[in-house]
Order: sequence, then C-alpha cells, then structure tokens
Amino acid sequence: MDGRIGISHLEKVYGEGSERTKAIDDLSFDIDGGEFTSVVGPSGCGKSTLLYIIAGFLDITNGTVSVDGTPIDGPGTDRGVVFQDYALFPWRTVKENVLYGLEEAGVPDEEADATAQRFIDMMDLSGFENKYPKELSGGMKQRVALARTLAYDPKILLMDEPFGALDQPLRETLQDQLIDIWGDLDKTVVFITHDVEEAVYLSERVMIMTRHPGTKKTVTEVDLDRSRPREDIVTSEEFTRKKNEVWRSLREETKSEVQP
Amino acid sequence: MATHDLWTPDRLPDPFAGVAKFLFDWIPLLVLVVGWEVASGRAVSESVLPPPTAVAAATVDLFATGEVIPHLAVSLLRVGVGLGLSIAVGVLLGIGMSQSDAVEDFFDVFLSLIYPLPKTALVPLALLWLGIGTKTAVLIVFLACLLPIVMNANNAAENVDQNLIRSARMMGTSDRRLFWKVVIPATIPEILTGIRQAIPFAFISLISAELIASEQGMGRLIRDAGSIGRYPAMFATIVIISAVAYTAVYGFEQIRERVLVWT
Ligand SMILES: Nc1ncnc2c1ncn2[C@@H]1O[C@H](COP(=O)(O)OP(=O)(O)OP(=O)(O)O)[C@@H](O)[C@H]1O
Ligand SMILES: [Mg+2]
Repeated sequence: MDGRIGISHLEKVYGEGSERTKAIDDLSFDIDGGEFTSVVGPSGCGKSTLLYIIAGFLDITNGTVSVDGTPIDGPGTDRGVVFQDYALFPWRTVKENVLYGLEEAGVPDEEADATAQRFIDMMDLSGFENKYPKELSGGMKQRVALARTLAYDPKILLMDEPFGALDQPLRETLQDQLIDIWGDLDKTVVFITHDVEEAVYLSERVMIMTRHPGTKKTVTEVDLDRSRPREDIVTSEEFTRKKNEVWRSLREETKSEVQP
Repeated sequence: MATHDLWTPDRLPDPFAGVAKFLFDWIPLLVLVVGWEVASGRAVSESVLPPPTAVAAATVDLFATGEVIPHLAVSLLRVGVGLGLSIAVGVLLGIGMSQSDAVEDFFDVFLSLIYPLPKTALVPLALLWLGIGTKTAVLIVFLACLLPIVMNANNAAENVDQNLIRSARMMGTSDRRLFWKVVIPATIPEILTGIRQAIPFAFISLISAELIASEQGMGRLIRDAGSIGRYPAMFATIVIISAVAYTAVYGFEQIRERVLVWT
C-alpha cells in the first residue's frame, strides 16, 4: 500500500555558529502505508521539526526522508498537514476552504463541489458551508481543517497536536471521528501529541522520543480492537498497560531533564 | 414567537436611541456654528469672520453660478489620481519589500528619508520641476499618501501567518500563485486601513499644493477669494472641501466594512 514513510539517520540542525541547535539526532524510523503512528516526547525534543521535515517545509541536515521510496522535495499534495491552530483561510467560507485543494488541483467545478460537500457532511459541518472561520468554535474549525485536508485526498496525514487546544469532551469526539476516518479512508497518519492517553487510544504504534536533541527512544506497539466503544477500550487492561508503558518511558526523559 | 420579539420593550427604543446618538454627535458642531453666528459682527469683525448664514448663502451661490464646479472637478481628479497611484505603488512596494531583502534594502533608505519630511514642504521644489498645475499637485498627494499605505501593507505582508502559507503550498499552490491566493487576501485588511489613513492626508496635501502651485482647484479658489476679500466665498470653499473629504472617509469606511465581512 502507498503512503510509506522512510526515515533514515535523520539529523536536523537549526542555525549556524553560536546559534547552532541540533534539533534531531540520528533518527531512523519506518512507517508503513496506512499505519497510524503517534509521536510523543518532552517539549522541545523535535516533534514538530520531524513532522515539518516530512511535510517538506524544512531542509534536512543529514540523512534521508522518503515517501514511497522517493526522497522528499518540498511540500506536495501526496501529504496533508493539520495544524493545532487550524490555519484556515479566514477570507474563505467553510465550503471555500474545503474547496481550496481541489481548485488548485484543477478538479472541474461540479465534481469539486460534490467532493467538498461529501467531506463537509462527513465532518458534521452541514449547514455551516457559508460561514466564515471566525464564526466557528475551535472544534468546528479543526473539523473544517480536517475536511479541507481530506478533500484533496493525500495519502499521508501529518497532524501536529491537532486537538491540543480543545477541551476534553471535544477532543474525545474528534478522536473518535479521526479513528472512523482512518478506518474508512486508508490514510497513513503521523500524529503528534503531548497526551499519552490520546496517543495510545488512537494509534497502532507510539514512538517515544528522547529529550532534546531528539531521537527515537522506544516504540510501543498497541494492538487494540478499535471497533469497540470508547468506554470499553479505555477501561481494558491492555489499554492501561500500554498507557503505563508509554508514560514510564516518557517520564524517564522528562525526569532526566531536571537532573544535572 | 418570532414576530412577538419585534414588540418586546427593549426592541422599541432602538430608533430613538439612534436619533439620540445622532443628536449628541452633532451637538458640538451645532454649538460651534451658533457661537460663530453670535460672535461674528460682535466679538470679531464680520469682514474677517463672516457669519455661518453668509457662508451658507455663499455656498449655495458657488454651486448656483457653477463657479465651484470646475475647481471641484480638478481637485477630485488630482486626489483620485494621486491616491490611486500611491495605492498601486504602495501596495506593490510594501508587499515587495516583505518578499525580497534586496527590494527592502533598496527602498528602505528612501522611505526613511521621506518619513519625517512634511510632504507639503516639497511643494516649491515640485513646482520648480513640474511647473504649475496638476502634475505638481498629484506628486504631492502621491507622496503624502504613500507612506501609510506602504507601511501598513508591508507590516501585514511580513506577518502573514506562516501556517496559511504552508497549508497552501501543501495543497499545491506554487510560489508565484501564493501571492494572489494567500499573501494579497491576508494583507487586504491592513491595506484598507492604510488607505483609510491616507485619505485625509490626500486632501490636506492637495489643498497645500493648490494654494501655491495651481491655477485651478479648491485650494486656488480659497486663495483667490481670500485675496480679493470675498471672505464668505472663501469660507464656503473650505466648508465644501471639508464636506467632500469627510464624505470620502465615511464612504470608504462603509466599503471597507462590506469587503471585510470575514474579519
Ligand atoms: N526555526 C528554528 N530555529 C532555531 N531553533 C529551532 C527552530 N524551531 C525549533 N527550534 C529548536 O529545535 C528544537 C525542537 O523544536 P520543536 O518545535 O521541533 O520541538 P517540539 O517537540 O515540537 O516541542 P513542543 O512539544 O513544545 O511543540 C527546540 O530546541 C527548538 O528550540
Ligand atoms: Mg511542537
């Protein structure tokens, strides 16, 4: 299946001279097409840097990052990014935002309209097509952002703490919606989060990064039956065990930060 | 229930509140005009400060005889062209400077130089280069309006949300199209703010230029009327151009609100 991501001996250094910061140090990691992977790690360990490198926004200092075997060369429509701050175009209505990628791809108007409407409906945004982003709540904005990204059908979804600004009940709703989408649409998802529970609940694998300069520390495989309702999953023994495993590994990194 | 809402008590006073606000807004002006009427001929000589009634009569007269029309037309043309040029150049320059360090370094010097300079001080110089008339007036208006437009456009273009640009590029927008698809729309609110700030400058600089370097226009009419003692006509011309400037600002603000429904 398409949407494979290969990361090999990745190193990222920001700045030069006295400003020089190594953000990522020798990170190797492969993600299969259609896989849901979360990345957790201490603040400043390089999670966003890693995601933006896969997105093609940042240059690589050393190593290679490839999608389906082709090294990444800038942003491209085979990938889609969802930001914590939504990044909706404020001058475009909900519908116009969702249409953006389709317009850029030159999809004929009628077909684009039908596709946009399909994802607007999928994200429970029907009736809000003609609203501007400023008229929407945070949860709705993030649903528009998701619809906008899904509409142009990238193979890979890159998400940087997408639900970090939302309150708990809303996060849970959106998490469940994301699981449904992932099940239906066969996307590779790379999901960055601070929230261990969110990482374990959503993903098949959780990569824990070391503290700054970040690299892969451990990878926890999570094999949950996600067709069950949320309450069954979060109360299951398997879920608790995985959560603790990730938490302990992460804890070692945040603790060692404080010690000399 | 819906129709019932129309008759709830707090719904009714709305029109009255509107009228009251209108009155309060205009009371200071009313006080001024009445005070002026009383003072004229008593505290100050009527020839130096003609009463508002005389100014009003002169205003009507200026239109009735058609005397003011060609002057007003020329002045409006000059403001329009000068402001239009400064919008075109200012927006391009402001955004251009945000996109390229070379452009920024090059123009920064000139902008820093003309920033503290009172643009009207350039009228005699412009007169020397361009002679009496429209060219000089347009140049002065252009220079006076340029800075607020450049600065607002530049500031906004430098601060376009990076994630909007990233999103657009991810969705296949090329660097060239990015300008029209993202940078311009994201910058429009501040561009309109810059134009709004420039409109009063346009009228101020226009009149300054016409007072000195023009054979036509409202500024020239003020000077001519003043020099031969037609003080009511002089005041009337000032009132007319002020009303035009006020209308321009007010009209532009209405347009801006329409355009920026999304902010
Ligand atoms: N543009 C930049 N220039 C210089 N250094 C940077 C830049 N962006 C990030 N860094 C540094 O690189 C390191 C990793 O940053 P990054 O934003 O990737 O971390 P993060 O894991 O996403 O953190 P957080 O959890 O707080 O979002 C940090 O030390 C940060 O200070
Ligand atoms: Mg981050």
